[in-house]
Parts: sequence; C-alpha cells; structure tokens
Amino acid sequence: AALPCLSLLVSLLLWPAVFFRLFHSSALPQSHFRPSYALFARGCCRKPQQKALVRPTGHRKALSALPFSLKHIFGKQTPHPTHREHCPIPSPAIAHTPTTMTMLKGDTLQERSKGRDVRISNIVAAKALAACVRTSLGPRGMDKLMQLPSGEVLISNDGATILSKMNVLHPAAKMLVECSQSQDIEAGDGTTSVVVLAGALLDACSGLLSKGIHPTMIAGSFYRAAEACCLLLKEAAKPVDLADRDSLIHAVQTCLSSKVVSQNSDLLAPIAVDSVLKILGDDPGSATNVDLRDVRMVEQLGGTVDETELVDGLVFDKGSTKTAGGPSQIDNAKIALIQFCLSAPKTDMDNNVVVSDYAAMDRILRDERKYILNLCKKIKKTGANVVLIQKSILRDAYNELSLHFLAKMGILVVTDIERNDVEFVCRTLGCTPAPHVDSLTPEKLGTAEHVGDVVLPGSGHKVVKFTGVANPGCTSTVLLRGSNDLVLAEANRSVHDAQCVVRSLVKERYLIAGGGAAETEASLRLRELALETTGMDSHCFKAYADALEVIPYTLAENAGLKPIEIVTELRKSHAEGEVGAGIDVKKGRITDMYKQNVIQPLLVTTSAIKLATETVCMILKVDDLVPVYG
Amino acid sequence: MSAPNPASTGLSRTLIARQPYPHRHHNIYRATMSAPNPASTGLFINGTRETGQDVRTGNVTAALAVANIVKTSLGPVGLDKMLVDDIGDVLITNDGATILKSLEVEHPAARVLVDLANLQDSEVGDGTTSVVIIASELLRRGNDLVKNGIHPTTIISGYRSALKAAVSYIKKEMVVHVDNLGDEHLMNAARTSMSSKIIGKESDFFSKMAVDAVKSVKMTATAADVAGYEAMGSSTSATSNKHKYPLSAIHILKAHGKSSMESHLIDGGFAINAMRAAQGMPTMVESTPEAPVKIAMLDMNLQRHRMGMGVQVIVKDPAEIENIKKREMDITKERINKIIDAGAKVVLTTKGVDDLCMKYFVEAGIICARRCVREDLKRLAKATGGRVVTTMADMEGNEAFDADCLGACDSVREVRIGDGEMLYVYGCKGHGASTIVLRGANEYMLDEMDRALHDSLCVVKRMLESNTLVPGGGAAEAALSVHLDDYAHTIDSREQVVIQEYADALLVIPKTLAVNAAKDASELVAKLRSVHAKGQHGDDDPSLKYMGLDLIEGSIRDNLKAGVVEPAISKIKSLRFATEAAITILRIDDRITLNAAQ
Repeated sequence: AALPCLSLLVSLLLWPAVFFRLFHSSALPQSHFRPSYALFARGCCRKPQQKALVRPTGHRKALSALPFSLKHIFGKQTPHPTHREHCPIPSPAIAHTPTTMTMLKGDTLQERSKGRDVRISNIVAAKALAACVRTSLGPRGMDKLMQLPSGEVLISNDGATILSKMNVLHPAAKMLVECSQSQDIEAGDGTTSVVVLAGALLDACSGLLSKGIHPTMIAGSFYRAAEACCLLLKEAAKPVDLADRDSLIHAVQTCLSSKVVSQNSDLLAPIAVDSVLKILGDDPGSATNVDLRDVRMVEQLGGTVDETELVDGLVFDKGSTKTAGGPSQIDNAKIALIQFCLSAPKTDMDNNVVVSDYAAMDRILRDERKYILNLCKKIKKTGANVVLIQKSILRDAYNELSLHFLAKMGILVVTDIERNDVEFVCRTLGCTPAPHVDSLTPEKLGTAEHVGDVVLPGSGHKVVKFTGVANPGCTSTVLLRGSNDLVLAEANRSVHDAQCVVRSLVKERYLIAGGGAAETEASLRLRELALETTGMDSHCFKAYADALEVIPYTLAENAGLKPIEIVTELRKSHAEGEVGAGIDVKKGRITDMYKQNVIQPLLVTTSAIKLATETVCMILKVDDLVPVYG
Repeated sequence: MSAPNPASTGLSRTLIARQPYPHRHHNIYRATMSAPNPASTGLFINGTRETGQDVRTGNVTAALAVANIVKTSLGPVGLDKMLVDDIGDVLITNDGATILKSLEVEHPAARVLVDLANLQDSEVGDGTTSVVIIASELLRRGNDLVKNGIHPTTIISGYRSALKAAVSYIKKEMVVHVDNLGDEHLMNAARTSMSSKIIGKESDFFSKMAVDAVKSVKMTATAADVAGYEAMGSSTSATSNKHKYPLSAIHILKAHGKSSMESHLIDGGFAINAMRAAQGMPTMVESTPEAPVKIAMLDMNLQRHRMGMGVQVIVKDPAEIENIKKREMDITKERINKIIDAGAKVVLTTKGVDDLCMKYFVEAGIICARRCVREDLKRLAKATGGRVVTTMADMEGNEAFDADCLGACDSVREVRIGDGEMLYVYGCKGHGASTIVLRGANEYMLDEMDRALHDSLCVVKRMLESNTLVPGGGAAEAALSVHLDDYAHTIDSREQVVIQEYADALLVIPKTLAVNAAKDASELVAKLRSVHAKGQHGDDDPSLKYMGLDLIEGSIRDNLKAGVVEPAISKIKSLRFATEAAITILRIDDRITLNAAQ
C-alpha cells in the first residue's frame, strides 16, 4: 500500500507543477525558448542542443567531476572564478523530493548549459573559418579558387578577399570576416594571420572554458595579455626612418613573398614603396597617415607582371579619341577638364522645335553646328590643347561634330573620364573642372610637359600618358600588366597590400622580424610574465602565449616542415636571446630574420593581435543567439 | 516575467519537443530542408568547398582533358577538328586557340588553359597548341610530384628556376642571329608555321605571299610605339631598327570558288568587299600623269536628310510639304556636290546612299560604293593618305568638303571574283597596305586558310622585329630537356627532382609530334636526346644542337638546314606563359563554389 501511496503523492506533487509549466510556456515570450529550436532546426549551429535534451544525466556526471578537477588545477585556491553554470546551485524549491530534483536538476543544467552550447557552436564555426584560410598563410601558402554565383572566377591568397567573397552564414564566423576586413583597413596586410590567430585564441578559450573558467574572466585576461604583447613587441621592434628606402623595400618584399606575384617582388616592392613615398611630399618625416586613394592603379591585360611600372604622372586606361583624326601627341600641354557636354542641346520631353518653313531646316542645321563650334572655340580660346571630357549619362558627352572641330583645332581629346576620377585627375594635373563653358578660364587649366598615346608592347593596346604633370608630389600611378585577368587582379591586390605595408610604417615607424619571430618572441615573454603573475591571469596568459605560436606553427606546416621541431627550436633560440630568430621557409631552418631582411611593420602584428583578441572576447561573451525573424 | 523558474522552462521544452505544433514550426522545418548542408564542409557558407589533393587532381584532370582535345592537331602531320555548334554551324580547324575558344569550357582550371591559348594567340599568334600541351604536361607531372610527397611550393619554385634556366639557355645557345634577314629565312619560318595547317601542301606559294605581304606594310614606328617600347624597357631590337609591321594593314578577303592556288596578293593595293552602287557608274577610274585618282572616304549618311529628335514639322499650307521634302533632298544634294567639286572620283561611305542621289554620281562619272566596313575604310584611308570624314562642318559653322581628306591612288577597278564584285584600289599613295584575296573550295576552307595565314603573318612579323630564330621540329625542346637535366644535377635541394620533371615535360612536344606522325615516339625521342646530349657534352659539331625530327622520314636531321625554324621570341614566350599558367593552377588547394543568393 505504501507504493501506490507514494506514487500518488509524487503525482500529486507533480501535477501543479506540470500545469503551471504548461500555462507558463504559453505565457512565456516566445523568444525564450524558440530560438534554440529554430537554430537547431536550421541545422547549422545548434547540434549540441539535441544531445543536451536527451542526455541530462550525462551532463550531471561530467559536471560532478568538475570541482575536483578545478581543485586539482588551482591547488588550494578558492574556486571563486569558476563558471557559475557548472556549479549546480541547490535551490530550496527542488531540494525536497529526490524525484523532482533528479528531473529538475537535469533540466536546470540543460537549460543552464545553453550559454555554453551557444559559445561552443560559435567557437566551432569561427574555428572552421580560420582553418579554411590557414593554408594560405606565409610564403609557402596556397591559393583559393573561388567560383562566384555570377560565374566569375577568383584566385586569391589574400585573407580579406577570400573571406569577403565567401558569403559566410554563421554570425560568429561573420565576426571573424569583419575582423579580417578591419585588419585590411587598419594595416592592409596580415589579414590571414589575424583570422588564424583568432582561431587559435578561440581554441585556447574552449580549453579554458572546459576547465570551468568564466568567459568574462578569460576575456579580461586576454585583453591584458594583448596589451602586454603589444608592449613587449614594441620593445623588441626596431625603429625605422622613412628615408631608409632599403628597409621599406625589405618589409614590402616580406609582404609580397606570400603572393602569386612573389617572383616579381624585386620589381613590385620598389614600385609600391616609391608610389607611397612620392605622395608623402617633401617631408615624409612629419606625415602621420597617408591616403592610398592618391595612388591610382591602372590594369592593362597583356604582357607579364614584369612589365608593371610606376608612372611619373598620370595614365588613362584607354587611348585618346581619334575618330576625327586629332593629334595624339602634345608637348607643353594645357589641360582642360570639362563636365559639360559637347553636343547639340536636347529639348525636354514635352517641348518640341516646330518647323513650318523649309528655310527653318537650314537654320536648325546651321545653329547646331554654330553652337558646337562656339563651345569648341571657347575651349580653344582659353589656350587648352588637351581636353578631358567627363562621362555623361544624360546626353552624349561629345559627338562626331565636336570631335571634328577639336581635331581641327589641334586639341587632343580624352573621353569618358569617370566622375570618381575627377578629383584625382584635378589634383594631379592642377586643373579645376569646368561645369559650364563660361566658367572655363585659363586659370582652370592644368599642365603637363607631354601628353600622348603609348602603345603597350605585347597586347598593342593604347593608353594615354601624362608626363611632367603640375603636381607630381600629390599622386602617383602604377600601370599594372599581367598575362591573364586572374593574375592581373591578384597583382593589383598584392601591390595594394604592399602599399598598405608602407602606410603602416608611416603610421607607426617600427619594424619587427617576420617569419614567426615576432609571435614567438611575444609568446615567450608572455609565458615569462605568466610565471610572475598569479591567479586567473597567469593561467590565461599561458594559454594566450600558446595560441600565439600558431603563426610559426602554421608557417612551418604550410612550408612542409616539421612544425613541432621547428617551433620548439624557435622557442629555444628566442629563450637564448636571439630576438630575430624566425623560420627561413626557403632553407627550412631557423635563421636571423633581420639578417635575411624578412621584416614587417610592427603595426601589422600589433593590430592583428589587438583585433583578434577583441573579436575573440566578443565571441566569448555571447551566451545566446536570438534570431529575430522579420 | 521575473526570473522564471528554471525548472519550468525546462519541462515545457521537453513537452514541446514531444508534441510539436506543426503550424508554429512549419517555417522552421522548411528552413531545415533548404539550408545548405554545413556538415560536409564544416564551414557555414552558402556553397560547397573542396580542399587539398582533391582540388588539385580535379584541376589537373580538367586541364588534361582540354589538352587532349588539341593534342592530335600538333605538328605537320596533325589532324583537324570539326566543331559543330548547337545551331549546326560547322567549323573545321587545326588552330589550338580557335578550337578552345569554340568550346564552352566551364571548369575554372580548364578556363585558365583556354585563356592561355588566347593569350598566346594575341601576343605571339602561333604555337597555341603547343603552349597548352606543355602547360598540361607540367600540371600532370606537378600533380604526380605532389602525390609523391613534394610540397606544391617546392614544385613551383622548381618550375620557376627551370624556366629561368631554359630561357637563358635559349637566348645564349639556341638562338641564331640573322643579321641580314633574307627572304629565305622568313619563308622557312612561315612555311614551318603553316606546315601543320590546311595550306601546308602549298606552303611554298603561301609562305612567299605571307612574306611579301608583311614586307609591303613596313612602316616607321610612331612616337607612341617608341615611347611604349622605351617605357617598358623592352629589349627587342624593334627599338633599334624603329620599324613596325602592322598586320592590321594587311587585308584578307575571302571569296569562294576556284582553287586555293588562285589566291593572290595585291601588292600596294587594297581591295574592298563592296560593289558599285549603281550600274551606270564606270567600272574603272584611271589616273592621268598629272592627277591621281582621288578617293573620298565618308563615315556619314548620304540619304535624305531627316530632322533630329525633338524637331517637329508642322505646316499650315499643304504646298509647304513639297518645299520641305525638296529641301530635305537638297541638303544632301549640296553635300554631294561639294564632295564632287573637291575632286573626288571615287566615293566610299560606311552608311547608305539614297537612290535619288545616285544620279548625281552617275552624271559625274564617279564610282560610289555604300555600306563599306568602317575598319576597311580606316585602313584604306591610311593606305591612300586620306582621312575618313565624319562631318563636313568647317570652322565657320558652314559646310564644306576639305580636299585634304581625299586619298590618292593610281586606279580603282571593279573586279568580278566568284559570285560578286570587289573594288580594287591599285597603287595607293600613302603608307603601305596590301590585300590578300583568298580563294578556296568552300567557306570552311577559306576560314581555315585565313587563320593559318594569320599565324604565318604573325610569325614573319615577329621574325622581322626580332631578327632571331630557333630550330623547330622539337629541336629546341630536346636541347632544353638535356640542358635542364644537367642543370638539375647542380641543384642540391628538393627542387632537383622538379627540374628533372620539367625537363621531361618539355619532351612532350617531340613525343606528340612523333605520335601524330605515327612514328616510334620512344625511339625517335631517345635518339634526339642522345644527339643533343652529345652536342652539349664536348662534341664540337655545332649542327648537333639544331637536330630535330623529320616527321616524314621518321629520322633525325639538322632542322636549321632543313629550314624548319621559328622566331625565338615565340618559343620563349610560350614557355613563359605555359609555366605561369601551370603555376597558377598548382598553387590552388581550395575550391569554393558559392550558390546564388536566394
């Protein structure tokens, strides 16, 4: 009789609870439980939830072992920073009946573990992304071939480019993509390393989390570790003078060594350095930043990358317009940039010119000619002998008649100047754009010693080149050549990265050894620091230091070397005080990077460390994913 | 809701999991079905991803498939391909670039090879098949090396150093400098290039035609060209002799009928595929000693003048209509009279001529042709020293025809060829220009002759510009292979194996040549290599390094003496392009295909 009695008691005890919960569930805001289902159903991020639902006891078992392991790790320290979620708090309400307790305890844990699952899911996704770009790190990195939905094909080695095209779905992975993008904006180089580093840090986090350390504690320690790293690196870095062109070139060559165009780095590195130094003006020492939009890249298919050149002046990617047989070479050019149209005015849609007399027909024809002739004469009167015509979408920017007149006046015509290029052109040539023919005055003309068509050997394409321009120090132009579209586009990205390296040096004038030397040095010093501190910082610093070694590790791995051997050897060299020791990928051993001239701007490394840490901390602090459906 | 009991939410979830409300979760299930399967990639992207060896093998297989298509058309005994497109149009060709261009290749790696052939076509003009074959062989061997555990980057750097060594060897040892390039050398080169083509049987005839045509368009390089060469630091001797041979000045006209041997070159003349606009016009205009024939080239309409958009003709008096109509005609008539007054005896326009206006020309005894191709007129303008006129406006805003725009020549004749008539312009007074009129049994043959001749013209042009040649028939490849093999032995790093593979890969050219000629490839290539090895190791006989294949006899001979030669620049460029393409593909270890956004 005791048994039914007990079961009755239990069921009685349970019923209100069940009812309450049923009522509760419908009253609860949907978002409270729906997200997890939704995520699970999407099949992409919430796999763990399913396990949690069916195995509450397993969790309990695993967790009961935790306090011991924590004690084991932290010695006699009080486990105050332990993860709250893993500390089953005995609630007074559930402590009474064992049955309820079992069930509710399981549920509690499962519910509580949601934050952890979200975190793990985020970490897994972000790590997958990092693993994807890992193979393109370093001089022996490989390329990715991407086929875009439009059918376009892209071959790239640049982390930021690959990630931005990849159309990543997972929100946490997206954060990593953006992190790579900000590295691209901030430093321009190291876009792959920042993602790889973030991946390694996340890996370290999952280790720390499984030990039961609270995410905010990890985040705090990681921030401090990143700061410490930056300081340590700055100590290890060597200051550089912008006048020291050789050092800049070496830094740029290091950056280019991982690109498709690496065999052309002897040619491209000086081009990249000079193109940026040129726009710094006379006093490069005082510049704090440089706008890379002042460097114009003109791509021309044909030839090989070897034929790329830095143009002293300006180049347009098409030749002058010669349909009416105008000149194609002009010395001592006076250049007018016009934004008005050299064509017959059009009537509005509603208005019409009405002809009721045959004599009026002649008048219309003559007036049209006179109108255009007048425009051309006014241009000629200012003394211009080169006219750049801005592209117009409203009506024809030029017609055969105007080209004919301009040709007869001996004026070289370049048409279809993009609106976006106008400012650049003006700054280079020292001209002011004229929106109307009456505002075109001789003061608005720009000058150049020579303007002329140049036939590019190989493809036979023509470009128009301006040399001896009015403001040579303001802008620079790089004429890129390549044997196919893919190589050309990649060369463009690589030269841009190279210019960013120079820009980083303008921003922060320190160089540090590459080839994994900087990361190993930071890792080693941080490990020393970890020994000097106590508490959670010490533990997290150590994990952080280990994570930093992913860079030399990956470099070695990509180069087909034995990573463990190389990294340990590297660690030993640094411990012996060889600050510049890094991986010489070509020879497959450890050498002094400063001697090998494998150097990179400090900003690239520090910015990568900072950005990766911040992203990781952000991912770490997320404990719920709430999809909001519109 | 203040701090919900954790237990409550937990239980409710369990219940819901057991009794899902279909209507509420409908969208969720749908999402499950349409969501991409991330498990296969481990990466949450909307698309598919392949990595590592799979990608490399896939790329190499695709590239090999492309190369296999063109393989059998290499060499003098190579065969043609017939390509039929979806609307039934037929193309018969032996030209690698043309074959590949016509295939709609989708695989991105294979597309790199197609681009490679196109590049070779535009930069060199000849050797499009061999460049694809070399690239695919390099890829195949590269992939095998990767499978054997050599890192792709090692292969890449090995290929690069092999290329460097090969190019410097060609420049130092193989190149024959021809100081005074005789017609004989030029014709040999042209003959070699066309030997594999449809006109190979009549190569003596066509090679002479090609050489004459290119020589006739010789002109001094313009400032723009010189600036281009100087800026690029180009080392070709084109800078020094300052001549160029614009192939665009050679006009190739195709007229079917008769045999290919009836094709002819109009030296210093120009033919335009257009006929007189009216029967009443004379069929020929001859110059007198004091006055050459003047030609007006127009790029404007000689039809009744119509008012532009936005102009409306509204008349009150019906009698005005006639006046307006008359005026419309008269505007054109006045223009024609101005052209005639300027002294034009021949008027060619890209646009139409009104039938009513025809009578003015007929009365003046002028040949007029309409609907000419704009590009042809531009060339003719260059050839006759005139200009294409786009508008007749003068600097006062009135209309006038500038006599300076007229071109001059000795005579213009309408000649009947095949089914149609053509206007032949003889004795052009401007820059050189010439026209080749091709005859042949059918359109396909004419098209293929055109392509073959174009290749030969390119070869002759390169020869004239660079003055250097190398022996063909696999001689250069065999010599390079032996040299690179030796060079590999001086390298003590992992690149050694790679350079050896590169050396072996080059042998694919003589091998394929021999296979296509149904000869014993292994034996011939072995003989060839042994001869070259002898030449490079001590034997002073200079002819040894020029030894190549004789595909008709199936033996080895001195190809320089036999007149099988190619321009050195094209050999160097094709090696460079092929290596670059192979490297581009070998560097890929990841392929991501993205789905279109929904």
